[in-house]
Amino acid sequence: MPFINLPHLHLLMNHVPTVGTVVAVGLFILALARRNEHLKHAALEVFFLIALATLPVYLTGVAAQLEIQGRPDVSKAAITAHHDAALLAFILMMLTGFVSWLSLWQFRRHGRSAGWTTGGILLLAVLTLAVVAPAASIGGEIRHPEIMPDPNAVAPAGVWVSAAAVQDIVTTRPWVWPAAETLHFIGLSLLFGILFAINLRLLGGFRAISYASMHRMLPWGMLGFGINLITGMLFFIAAPEQYTANAPFLWKIICLMIAGADLLYLTVFDKIWALEPGDDAAVLDKAIAATAIVAWVGVIYWGRMLPFLGNAF
Amino acid sequence: MIDFLTWLEGTSFSIWVREAPTIWAFSTILTLHTFGMGVLVGASALLDLRLLGVGRTMPIGPLQSLYRIMWSGFWLNLVTGSMLFAADATSRGTQWLFFVKMLFVIIGVVTMVLIRRRVFGGPAEPTVVSSAVRGLAVVSLVAWVAAITAGRLLAYVN
Repeated sequence: MPFINLPHLHLLMNHVPTVGTVVAVGLFILALARRNEHLKHAALEVFFLIALATLPVYLTGVAAQLEIQGRPDVSKAAITAHHDAALLAFILMMLTGFVSWLSLWQFRRHGRSAGWTTGGILLLAVLTLAVVAPAASIGGEIRHPEIMPDPNAVAPAGVWVSAAAVQDIVTTRPWVWPAAETLHFIGLSLLFGILFAINLRLLGGFRAISYASMHRMLPWGMLGFGINLITGMLFFIAAPEQYTANAPFLWKIICLMIAGADLLYLTVFDKIWALEPGDDAAVLDKAIAATAIVAWVGVIYWGRMLPFLGNAF
Repeated sequence: MIDFLTWLEGTSFSIWVREAPTIWAFSTILTLHTFGMGVLVGASALLDLRLLGVGRTMPIGPLQSLYRIMWSGFWLNLVTGSMLFAADATSRGTQWLFFVKMLFVIIGVVTMVLIRRRVFGGPAEPTVVSSAVRGLAVVSLVAWVAAITAGRLLAYVN
């Protein structure tokens, strides 16, 4: 893409996690105070979408790091501090998004969310906010020394997570990469099998089964998604230059954003939820289901073609 | 045996799969193989999980159509897998890990057929799941995980 590069994309998107979390935490607390179930669902949906959006923010951030860390006018220490704080924020954001999704699923399954998920989300969201705000602030200091009280002092990340440590674990132990690849393929099968079947129900397959029954399988698809997010991040952090300059990886992430949004769509939309045995989904829902299947196939295609269409592994 | 493997690897088709400077040879065949794996193992895992009690409100009868999906994945992978084997016949055909993978694929497919006979073989709509079928479902899941593990590790042992 000649008109925009990944560091630019990072600058465009990097406020989403911070501002988004502030808004979502506000909505969530407001919903609890007003005991408003609809508002609470809206907050949970925002948490999930923010978590999804945080993935490209993190990935483009690493691309920006590789791009500028060798320049004399930027502090490498500030970049490292920003990366480490951002990594912890990313992990907390993903956990918040995951538990939010689980809470929405529980609401479908049991008619209400379990108490622990509400407390857990509140705790995780506040922790996320406490980490993402300083992470963003340190990020700003990389290119804006004018915002620092002392331009020579680099704010330490102050977190126990370190991208360098993750990279070290993955690259120095020869069994980690193959083990993670194996888990990535097992996760792929679980994820694809479940999501393919549920979307197929909307397209007219398994018509004798109600949508609500099919939906009970979705956490297993989410389990596959979780396995693949974790193992995929291990690959990315260990060898980011293999991915940031790799066009198929960009396509994979675009497909992943669409496919990830499908996990939310399948859980929160009432119209598909009401499909009883024999019912046919509306044309729009069919179109969404078909798009989701194409997106998952795209994720697999671009992922598997990474070494062949992009730079060699 | 090694003569056959050497001949197979030397056929113009094998050379094309292995060496053709196009994305449509080795890489596309490998990607289709991965896709077939997701289809076969994913559909099989869905049925196994239901038989083990996940999503009990889901009637089992209509899940019989999963077999069409599973067989599609199976045939796709038999074809693409044979092509990939032909391309590297002398190394794959002499690796014990490759035969471990084949063993687990065979166990997985045989288990799939046994589950079909036991669950969908009768005239009545299947409702209760016997402990024998639950056992088969566990064997199926273990076999697929083992087959994927062996297959994936083939890329790292040489």
